[in-house]
Amino acid sequence: MSGTATDSPAKKGKWTRRAFIGAGVVAGGALVVGVAVRQGNPIDRLSPLLLTSGEDEQLLNAWVKVDADNIVTAVIPHVEMGQGVYTALAQMLADEMDADWNKVRIIEAPADKQYVSDSIGRDFLLPDLEVPALFEPTVAGGILELAQAMGLQFTGGSYSVRATGQRAMRTAGAAAREMLVAAAASEWQVPASEITTADSMILHAGSGKSEPFSKFALAAAEQGLPARPRLKSPENYRIMGQPKARHDIPEKVDGSAIFGIDARVPGMKYAAVRAAPVVGATVESMDATTARTMPGVLQILNMGDFVAVVADGYWQAQQALNSIDTKYSKTEADSLDQDAIFARYARYLDEAGEDGGDMETEEGDAAKGFAEAAIKVEAEYKVPFLAHATMEPMNCTAWVRDGKCDVWSGHQAPVNARQAAADAAGLSFEDVTYHNAYLGGGFGRRSESDNIVMATRIAKATGYPVKMIWSREEDMAQDHYRPSATSRFRGGLDKDGKAVSWSNIHTHLFDPKDAPTVPYYNIASYRIRKVDVPMQLRLGPWRSVDHSQHGFFIESFVDEMAHAAGKDGYAFRRELLAGSARHLKVLDTAAKMSGWGSALPERHGRGIAFVPSFGSIVAQIAEVDMSGPKPKVKKVYVAADPGFVINPDGFTAQMESAIAYGLTAALYGEITLGDGKVRQSNFHDYPMLRINEMPAVEVALINGDHERLGGGGEPGLPPIAPAVTNAIFAATGTRIRELPLSRHNFA
Amino acid sequence: MTLARPLACLSLFMLPACGADPAPGPVEQMVVREPDAAPVAIAAAAGNDSPASALIAEGKAAFANCSVCHTAEQGAGNRAGPNLFGIVGQPAGRAAGFAYSDGLKTSGIVWTAAELDRFIANPAGRIPGTKMIAGGISDAAKRQAVIAYLESLTAS
Repeated sequence: MSGTATDSPAKKGKWTRRAFIGAGVVAGGALVVGVAVRQGNPIDRLSPLLLTSGEDEQLLNAWVKVDADNIVTAVIPHVEMGQGVYTALAQMLADEMDADWNKVRIIEAPADKQYVSDSIGRDFLLPDLEVPALFEPTVAGGILELAQAMGLQFTGGSYSVRATGQRAMRTAGAAAREMLVAAAASEWQVPASEITTADSMILHAGSGKSEPFSKFALAAAEQGLPARPRLKSPENYRIMGQPKARHDIPEKVDGSAIFGIDARVPGMKYAAVRAAPVVGATVESMDATTARTMPGVLQILNMGDFVAVVADGYWQAQQALNSIDTKYSKTEADSLDQDAIFARYARYLDEAGEDGGDMETEEGDAAKGFAEAAIKVEAEYKVPFLAHATMEPMNCTAWVRDGKCDVWSGHQAPVNARQAAADAAGLSFEDVTYHNAYLGGGFGRRSESDNIVMATRIAKATGYPVKMIWSREEDMAQDHYRPSATSRFRGGLDKDGKAVSWSNIHTHLFDPKDAPTVPYYNIASYRIRKVDVPMQLRLGPWRSVDHSQHGFFIESFVDEMAHAAGKDGYAFRRELLAGSARHLKVLDTAAKMSGWGSALPERHGRGIAFVPSFGSIVAQIAEVDMSGPKPKVKKVYVAADPGFVINPDGFTAQMESAIAYGLTAALYGEITLGDGKVRQSNFHDYPMLRINEMPAVEVALINGDHERLGGGGEPGLPPIAPAVTNAIFAATGTRIRELPLSRHNFA
Repeated sequence: MTLARPLACLSLFMLPACGADPAPGPVEQMVVREPDAAPVAIAAAAGNDSPASALIAEGKAAFANCSVCHTAEQGAGNRAGPNLFGIVGQPAGRAAGFAYSDGLKTSGIVWTAAELDRFIANPAGRIPGTKMIAGGISDAAKRQAVIAYLESLTAS
């Protein structure tokens, strides 16, 4: 982070809005208007990357261009991994621009550093603001998150719509519209205020004139640059808030969509790989006697940390790889096993005692509150490591030759992938061309670049293009796992069953920082600490990141406090949320949908969970049937308030898919270690939720604050596990403090 | 999927001096064969020692791409392209029932292995106006294999 901070905008001089919207000329004399993402105007360099249909096409800014056929193309600086981001972001741009939705095309921004800048966030958030030097670090810190999300072309953190969409796409659309209007006003000699726009047309009612956007695309570039484009208010939205069909669905239905694994390069060969199974181990020896006689085999490589076989076909490569006997060096992680990990967590938590660890947030005197409490509650919860198990196996195609490198894959941070390939090939960033494709599932796994580095190293060694595909077994064994964790709570209630004290200490995870906190719950005293525990395993972000663990911890403990207070989980949370109408509305909506309080059959239960995350507030109520040997989740009611829902169909789908993903983890998800190795290898021992196990999901959407949007990709996940385990408690009286549920015997 | 992890990568490219991982080359590299060489291993696997039959086998495999437009079995019909059974040695433009381009009909070519090689390398370049829209086979070894396969197709 320091790298970005030292790059802070203030040190580069005065910042104005004009540095954001700029104009330029490209070869051939065509005028373009574009985004100057840094001081100076990079548009000359950007234009060739984006202008694909010749000089008729005008680049209105880096997020939009208009061609001669009046097609508006939105340039999306995020990747599509099934979350519908292309469509939602294009809706935001097209609505502000008054573009005809049927004539909007979408392309992904090239993996170019011109799309990477912390400064852009600054411009969007604080246009024309002169910041006193004293406050500069604070301001720079404040915009950092946003800038990194959009400037870095990183897709994750449920950021695309709430940051890039809200700040960039809408502004770009509005600016483009204003420049087109100004051009028409000049040509028609009428006041700009008399001109209206609709469906990619510019209209003047008084004279009856109307022309398509394309007519003024070139002249628009000569107009004054809007200092502060005016954004629509919600009553004027025509495309935002509509359930527009996903742009990428037709090609995904007919099979023409290109994912990373579909890359094809003339002369391409295939590589299968097997990395050392224990972190830090190296390949000590390999016996490839059989492999080298097998069909199609071209090369067998010991890369030090992994073995690769390159062959004419993938199957040939994988079969030959399977025949290779490999020995690995000893490492200190060889002895790591599952019990030792949780024992280690317990030891670190014990050692932290009453005052150790790092304080995350504190308010009031939680220790005193607990000591004086009429009712005391204590509990410890554990969750396991999880794999991402993306449907598309990890892969990458690379070609290193003549001082250049081309790389094809699907990555959540294309610029990072490009840099990783450059480093692996020993080339400069400029000598690498990175081709991003659709991601067959990301979930955080594809924010890592290990696959990019491996494929580039293989391609460099062979000299010809190589497509590397991981087997499912390799994917399971070499993931960057969702961290396992232990969390301990102490809660105090007064004699009326009112929560007065909340203490938590947990093993440290990643982020977001607010994940372990509960500022929305009105409790007199808080004390939340973390303890760092070293772990010899690759760890990484997993859909909803730390909220996936803390959501379960917090909402389980709230339920335990409610039970200790003799109150029902819904009523208890209502008390805790008193004073926040917006939070209460979400909770109440879910409760009402579920018929909370009404009778259920024998051994059926309802459980409620409430988790605000990534700027969105989500309540879920699960209905669980415990009459069989294992939990059957029959129905999930969801109420969600992300501020304003840009695409209700897409947002609802994200709630549903987050429940499928989170329920898979709650029921079955568990990566365990033995002798330092991951024990699971494929879907037989790392099962996914089956279609007959998928509950019916009913979603209610609430638009609670159209100015501050929340994310959609992740917030549906954290509540599902505690909603289910709280329902199990309601049905059976058994409190689940350890996931997954497959560890428990309910017979 | 928030930012902690990508930030680690970010600082690498923003501060190149802090050092990206060096990417080590192979500790051990066994080159079994070069990609364009005849695939000895396939022939061995097929239990056939003859280099010629290995080449034919490779050509047959490569012909899978051609078979989108061409049949090669005796008596099989034309597709987008003509049937190629027994093509080697024949004058151009003779497959029954196929509407050849004028350029090909009047080319006077006899399909020797050498002529086939020139044509397959760049169909539209060799015969402007040809109906063969496929781009040809740029890999010389693969062309030889396909021609060997076509040569092997004769009435027995």
